[in-house]
Amino acid sequence: MTPASAPFSTLSRRLALLAIVSAITLAIGAAISPVRTWSNLLIINFYLVTLGLGGALFIALTYVCNASWNVSFRRVPEALAVLLAPVGLGLLAVLALGREHYDWHPHGTGDAGTFWFKEMWCNSTFWFGRAAVYVSLWILLSRALVTVSRRQDNTGTLGLTIANKRLSALFLFVYAVTFSLASCDWLMLLEPLWFSTIWGVYNFAGMVQAVLATMIVLALVLRSRGPLRRIFTDDHLHDLGKLLLGFSCFWMYIWFSQYMLIWYTNIPEEASYFIPRMQGAWGPIMVVNIVLNWIAPFLFLLPRPCKRSESVMMKVAVIVLIGRWVDLYVMVFPTTMGDWPVFGLWELAGGCLLIGTFGWLFFRSFAKAAPVPSADPLLGESLHYHC
Amino acid sequence: MAKSKKQRTTPVAPVQAADPLATLRPQLITGGKTPADVTRDICAPLDHSPGALWWSAFSVSMTALIVGTIAVTYQIATGIGTWGLNRTVGWAFDITNFVFWVGIGHAGTLISAVLFLFRQKWRTSVNRSAEAMTLIAVVCAGLFPVIHMGRPWLAFWMFPYPNTRGSLWVNFKSPLLWDVFAISTYLLISAVFWYVGLIPDLATIRDKSKPGWRRRITGFFSLGWNGSARTWHRYETVYMLLAGLATPLVFSVHTIVSMDFATAMIPGWHTTIFPPYFVAGAIFSGLAMVLTLMLIARKVMHLEDYITVLHIEAMCKLMLSMGCIVGLAYGTEFFIAAYSGNPYEQFVFLNRALGPFSWAYWTMVSCNVLIPQLLWLRSLRRNFAFVFLISIVVNIGMWFERFVIIVTSLHRDFLPSSWASYVPTIVEVATLVGSFGLFFSCFLLFCRFMPVIAMAEVKGVLKSPQRDLKHDSARGDAA
Repeated sequence: MTPASAPFSTLSRRLALLAIVSAITLAIGAAISPVRTWSNLLIINFYLVTLGLGGALFIALTYVCNASWNVSFRRVPEALAVLLAPVGLGLLAVLALGREHYDWHPHGTGDAGTFWFKEMWCNSTFWFGRAAVYVSLWILLSRALVTVSRRQDNTGTLGLTIANKRLSALFLFVYAVTFSLASCDWLMLLEPLWFSTIWGVYNFAGMVQAVLATMIVLALVLRSRGPLRRIFTDDHLHDLGKLLLGFSCFWMYIWFSQYMLIWYTNIPEEASYFIPRMQGAWGPIMVVNIVLNWIAPFLFLLPRPCKRSESVMMKVAVIVLIGRWVDLYVMVFPTTMGDWPVFGLWELAGGCLLIGTFGWLFFRSFAKAAPVPSADPLLGESLHYHC
Repeated sequence: MAKSKKQRTTPVAPVQAADPLATLRPQLITGGKTPADVTRDICAPLDHSPGALWWSAFSVSMTALIVGTIAVTYQIATGIGTWGLNRTVGWAFDITNFVFWVGIGHAGTLISAVLFLFRQKWRTSVNRSAEAMTLIAVVCAGLFPVIHMGRPWLAFWMFPYPNTRGSLWVNFKSPLLWDVFAISTYLLISAVFWYVGLIPDLATIRDKSKPGWRRRITGFFSLGWNGSARTWHRYETVYMLLAGLATPLVFSVHTIVSMDFATAMIPGWHTTIFPPYFVAGAIFSGLAMVLTLMLIARKVMHLEDYITVLHIEAMCKLMLSMGCIVGLAYGTEFFIAAYSGNPYEQFVFLNRALGPFSWAYWTMVSCNVLIPQLLWLRSLRRNFAFVFLISIVVNIGMWFERFVIIVTSLHRDFLPSSWASYVPTIVEVATLVGSFGLFFSCFLLFCRFMPVIAMAEVKGVLKSPQRDLKHDSARGDAA
């Protein structure tokens, strides 16, 4: 264990304990209400996978842009990317356990001949095999990015920066295709008759928003407790705040594009997704979703001083992270649990399991490398960064 | 290995292999220019009569414009029946051209506003021309709906105001009206942004001009600019605010253009991915046009030290990424058509790929997705002749994209008895030629009378990377 991890050993232990207690509670939940527990597990695991994937995406994007401002705190998204292996396997297990929720068969609608593709696409083995391929590719590429970056700590070679730049371009290409398909396979297929071409973009927007908020929280915690003190500056925070503001607006833009076009044409097979979510008891939750993911961050993050304030940024990031859970909740629960929103012990336990597992795994992986990529040629620019 | 390759292929931007920072942050402007050199080089075309090359290009453009003007006059005098439209294909060439030109404009706002907010220094050499291109392209785009009205002198009816026509209001539920608002806002903000950016350069021209008409005009439009710290401070604040305001416009305009189609219940038009897909496509086509124009301007106006291989490579990378996004959108549409099991959706997409307009579809796919993949190769991104060729290919591909979306979704209607084909008439083709004439004539006039490169901004990036580090900050240069 490196010195960087020392201040976090107690915190890690507590988070691990929280995860264990929540897991036991959910195990009881699985016996009492299996569908509800599975829905919670799907949300948690998808959330965690997108955080890990988002970390890798952030690293890759900054490498291909030759950006330097993020170098000083790059170990935070790197530690997120390392998370992909355990949480990816967790998600595969949840998918394997819940195959019946993705069950599609022609419901006597339309010409059976037009469904040959869907029949092939929804075949159990193919569906699960694809998931395994997506997760493996993400783990492989993100591990490679992190390994190269960590190796640079010893050598400081410029060639490693260039190698990671190339790897990042490959990652982005693979990510764009696989994540679009994965979000359709794991969330859209819960309602097998419904479809929307923007679904992948919508999930991308939510993912980026959540990972930015997560990095803000983690960097602030790491700054207040030592490893990133005087390394993660207000200027870095300010830029993360600007990105969060931008991506909150992007999320809203995509949400609105999907909703407006479906509302405008009002075609039954498309409106079937929004009718139960907008007209019944779920309606207020949809409003809460928009408030948490867009209205609150937009209003709080517009003034410049707010983006440089530790306390405001921490609060906004937490709001967005709760918003991300609510967003996934309205994607999954109306389909699996029906017309009435349910929120109780199992959801609370799910949330605690999410926080506990994430925190425990993150601090473990963060401790495995130096807290700052000390030999990166662009570190100097990052440390002197003023926005 | 990488370093030696870089040294071999970039004679205009030598790098110091010993200093990793110099490799990652090479000089954008070559030739060891001083601020005085920048003023002299960029203002040079304004002080001399244009050469034979400029006059021949201008003559060709004006000829095209005259052809277009004759065609437009004829169709207004005769009626829209001069077009090749029929009851099934009621929208074709004019709307294709409209969407094409609106799209071209997008790269200007992207480069001037979005890349400014992302602190991409390479934008400084191309933003002025890209913004001018935006304004001209939006004007070209606006012509088509106005001509399509049949009675363009009544175009003011598009604006909602209390009137004596009974009182007849515009249809607020129609995306076509939203277009009016979106595009007029876009034109206004883009013009203001362009003008504000020009002010310091106009003052420079004013100060170096002899007394006369040029000095009086630039003096008037430079708004009493005196170059003081306070003036610069206010200028930078306004520029930043305008960039923030212009950024949503990059999204809004083409989003609403996409809704012209996506709000209709026509398979092939109504799909939720249209807004972001159209935005990506617009930026893609705009970047291609910027590359076309800048590669010509670089050669003709001797701007080799200002538009270097780094600028071209950065734009190629952006164009490649946009091309991949557009390719993903094409794939998603096909995938969801198959996945949905909707026979109408499936028919439309199979008809695109295998029907009578398959030649247009495969032209689109080849030009927009397959051929741009060559830009993954660094040596090709640094080969100007090749990049010029690719930019033309993408321009063609993006025109075909709009044609494919519009015509192939309409020509085989729900009832087979309504199926029809579409062939543009000579009048429609002449109108398109005329719009190109207008575009290039205006751009050539811009090159003749305005500084094509933002002098004040380029002077700001002349510093060496090391000095820059001390005073400035860490920047993300995509070059």
